[in-house]
Amino acid sequence: MATGDEIWEALADFTEQCNNNKRLRKMQRDWTKILHFKAIDMDDSFTMKVVEGEIVKNDKGTVGTPDIIVETDSETMCDMFWGDINPTQKYLRGEIKVKGTQEDVMRIDVITAVIWPEV
Amino acid sequence: MAAQLTKGQRDEIKKQALDDFSRYVNPQKARVLKNAGLDIIEGKREGAAVWDITGKKYIDCITSAGSFNVGRRNPEIIDALKKALDEYDLGVFLLCSKPKADLAKRLAEITPGDLQYVMYGSGGGEANDFAIKLARGYTMKNDVISTLKAYHGHTGFSLAAIGRDEYRKPFGSMVPGYKHVPYNNLAAMEEAVTEDTAAIIIELVQGEGGIHLATDDYVKGLRKLCDDHEVLLIFDEIQTGFGRTGKMFCCDYSGVVPDILTIAKSLGGALYPISATVYREELGDFVMTHAFTHLSTFGGSDIGCMVGLAVIDFIVKNKLPEHAAKMGERFQKGFDELLTRYPELLMEVRRKGLMMGLQYTNDSIGPRMSYQLAQNGVMAIYTGNEPSVMRLMPSLVIQEDEVDFVVDALDKSMSEIMKQGGIEKY
Amino acid sequence: MSIIDDILSKTDMDEIRKETEENYRQYVNPFALRMFKNASLDIIEGKREGASVWDISGQKYIDCVTGAGIFNVGRHNKEIVEGLKKALDTYDMGGWISIVRERGILAKKLAEITPGDLKYSLFCCGGGEAIEVAVKLARGHTDKTEIICMENGYHGVTGFALPATGRDVYKQPFAPLTPGYRHVRYNDIGAVEEAITEETAAVLLEPIQGEGGIIPADDAYLRQLRELCTKNEILLVFDEVQTGFGRTGKMFCAEHSGVNPDIMVLAKSLSGGLYPLSCAVFTEEIAEFLMTHPFIIINSFGGTSLACLVALATIEYIENNDLPGHATRMGGRFMAGLSALKGKYPKLVLDVRGRGLMLGMEFPEDSIGPRMAYQLKQNGVISIYTFNNPRIIRIMPTLVITEQEVDFVLEAFDRSLAEISKQEEKNAAR
Ligand SMILES: Cc1ncc(COP(=O)(O)O)c(C=O)c1O
Ligand SMILES: Cc1ncc(COP(=O)(O)O)c(C=O)c1O
Repeated sequence: MATGDEIWEALADFTEQCNNNKRLRKMQRDWTKILHFKAIDMDDSFTMKVVEGEIVKNDKGTVGTPDIIVETDSETMCDMFWGDINPTQKYLRGEIKVKGTQEDVMRIDVITAVIWPEV
Repeated sequence: MAAQLTKGQRDEIKKQALDDFSRYVNPQKARVLKNAGLDIIEGKREGAAVWDITGKKYIDCITSAGSFNVGRRNPEIIDALKKALDEYDLGVFLLCSKPKADLAKRLAEITPGDLQYVMYGSGGGEANDFAIKLARGYTMKNDVISTLKAYHGHTGFSLAAIGRDEYRKPFGSMVPGYKHVPYNNLAAMEEAVTEDTAAIIIELVQGEGGIHLATDDYVKGLRKLCDDHEVLLIFDEIQTGFGRTGKMFCCDYSGVVPDILTIAKSLGGALYPISATVYREELGDFVMTHAFTHLSTFGGSDIGCMVGLAVIDFIVKNKLPEHAAKMGERFQKGFDELLTRYPELLMEVRRKGLMMGLQYTNDSIGPRMSYQLAQNGVMAIYTGNEPSVMRLMPSLVIQEDEVDFVVDALDKSMSEIMKQGGIEKY
Repeated sequence: MSIIDDILSKTDMDEIRKETEENYRQYVNPFALRMFKNASLDIIEGKREGASVWDISGQKYIDCVTGAGIFNVGRHNKEIVEGLKKALDTYDMGGWISIVRERGILAKKLAEITPGDLKYSLFCCGGGEAIEVAVKLARGHTDKTEIICMENGYHGVTGFALPATGRDVYKQPFAPLTPGYRHVRYNDIGAVEEAITEETAAVLLEPIQGEGGIIPADDAYLRQLRELCTKNEILLVFDEVQTGFGRTGKMFCAEHSGVNPDIMVLAKSLSGGLYPLSCAVFTEEIAEFLMTHPFIIINSFGGTSLACLVALATIEYIENNDLPGHATRMGGRFMAGLSALKGKYPKLVLDVRGRGLMLGMEFPEDSIGPRMAYQLKQNGVISIYTFNNPRIIRIMPTLVITEQEVDFVLEAFDRSLAEISKQEEKNAAR
């Protein structure tokens, strides 16, 4: 089990990776969404606000009306933000739950595919 | 098939075919073709020739506007298709398959520059529709500039790009955001480009528009214009591709590489529908974030891809582009004579390889020449957007004696029309 | 090298797979390949026969996707393959502008088997292309421009078909699109009534929404639509691209309600899963527009000689083997089994529905569709969720599926649902 602080750190790393990736920013420039991440083995949640492909803000807790809700255990969540796992595979095996459209699920996978093509 | 039938039986088949066609497909089409002497019911087909069911032989200079570059019923392509049929069916458009992957690689190899990824379709219009969608999606801009008299297909994004209103008028509102400018006029294009221009789409030789050749300077100017304004350049090589103009692709002449290239027609080897939109790697990023937003059930079927591979092999192995260039020159010698002999009929000849257009002195000569040529054993029609131009696009496997036969038929037909008169402009 | 008949060693297969994937990654679509792999749909089809397909590694699957209804006569149907091969001894595409004899014969056959007084055919390659023709005919014939279509409908992705498709993800990146399309709720006659204006040219719909989630139109709704259209001089267009050729237990789905459209669009199974072909079939009255405009809709590849011969062989096969009847019987067997599964997994299965062999199972949330596809694949069945609604997994096998194969698929569903139930319980416990 990871701690809330660890997730928050992983999320910050992830944010930096995304925002510094020029190709990804361009690719995602028509994507404006609010994402909620819930760690189900603890009571922590996080909110990520994406505007035109840029992660403009992360919050602790749930803020705003989400387009996408991602639920998994804290360990998997950290692994996801660190690029240690392929989130779509986990999703299809029921280990990560995502509420939202399939298109948005695929967009999340695009992020991983661009930042960590080998995963 | 036709060989074992008696003359009476063949006539009966022909009558029945015309009747069925009129009754269930389109009576007026049948009538127009009959009047033009083109009510040919194709029986045997081979190389550059086709036989009417009644046994009369024609050199096919229509070839569905360049769909039969490898010749009609090319035995090597037929074998490839039969072999494909031993193993494959259409396959599933969603899945990855070996033929799809193999052909994509081959297309990346033979297309110029860094054209890399392939989206498959079945028809040419479909390929252009995707090209334009891709340009809009990738640039997030709207406008598309095409040229007057251009032809790009009848599906919606392509239809709006056609440079002729008649094809659109009865159908009401079109896809918005299109401008049409004169061909071969760089200044007009420069003027039309704005901040919201996503793409310029152009044929390097206008086919339906009347066989007009883009100059190298124009094409190079377009490339620069596009680079300067972040506009994507789309070459529609649906008629000009696969050796037709004397090079594998017509853009090989100017060396200008487009961002998107569309191909269809001859890729199917006169046997099987397949088309493709080939685009640069960068544009793949849009396809990645919008996976599965453009789908085509029949596009890039396993069988179609096997046929496409065989077609490319045949063209490369037999150096069809070079052959087309050579046969084109032989045609040109004949045309030069016709130009001096019939100045009242023939104004100009425009040609690149075996993509040839005869510019007549007025509109009515095109249809009359079709009729006369049919009598003299040649199938040819005027171009869709320009009835004063007769297009000659024989298959690229045409031989010297067949070239001479066509030139001779042109001579006879023109001489007959001169005799008939009625050629003055009105 | 023949992939199918030769017995290849495991290494050869691995080699082919590696090469294919590499080429796909480099030259077709790297992301699609990644998605396939994630979803475990990275099947490279080798042998195909009847209701089944084999991955090149030799693993067998029952195909319940069938390209959303391309393979009604079965995968790689031997009779039709032989017919096409024989045709190749004489024919090729035929000229685009010529009077193609085979086209006349097929058009005549279609006039015979389609309902009501549908009579003329205009041929294209893809289903979307034929939808374009239908829209244009409607506009050209009526001199009006508006098309009423359905939310969540799917009609293709080219210029006149795309705006009719009732879902934004397909459209938004490519806007602005052809104007004049209005979307209304499916199965809601009041909504259509409200949408009708002076400018309405046609109402376009699928008699069973395929990509929208296997949603059948009520017979009463279709009859009301027919009346409404007739009264207002509006054309009724049925998209039977997925529902045609025996899929729903009748040759055409329209026959269930007895409603005759003015234009019917056909593709997919029209040409036996072997050759691209589609068409719009329409009434004599509408054909008049094409008398005055005989060359206004043209295409290079629509209705080639070979395509028409394949279609004739396909229709003959469907008739001779009574595939609509077989689809009804197998559909009944499926329905009984699926209903039992609904009883067994009440929390997972919200609904099972459909007609003939056009069936769908509905789940309570989006993620379960893709997960089911993944599980089914592990259990020897290929199926995917419907494009416009991932909550529904589709069951559209070939119409030559046998009783044993139906039972096999049902068992695979049972196992897959059991696995997902287990996953859900595990999640709930965390
Ligand atoms: C230059 C060009 N582009 C596009 C097309 C459309 O292709 P298709 O008829 O296969 O839709 C054609 C057809 O003649 C063409 O000549
Ligand atoms: C109902 C319906 N209409 C039209 C189409 C478009 O057909 P195509 O992919 O051949 O263009 C489809 C394709 O899935 C469909 O399901």
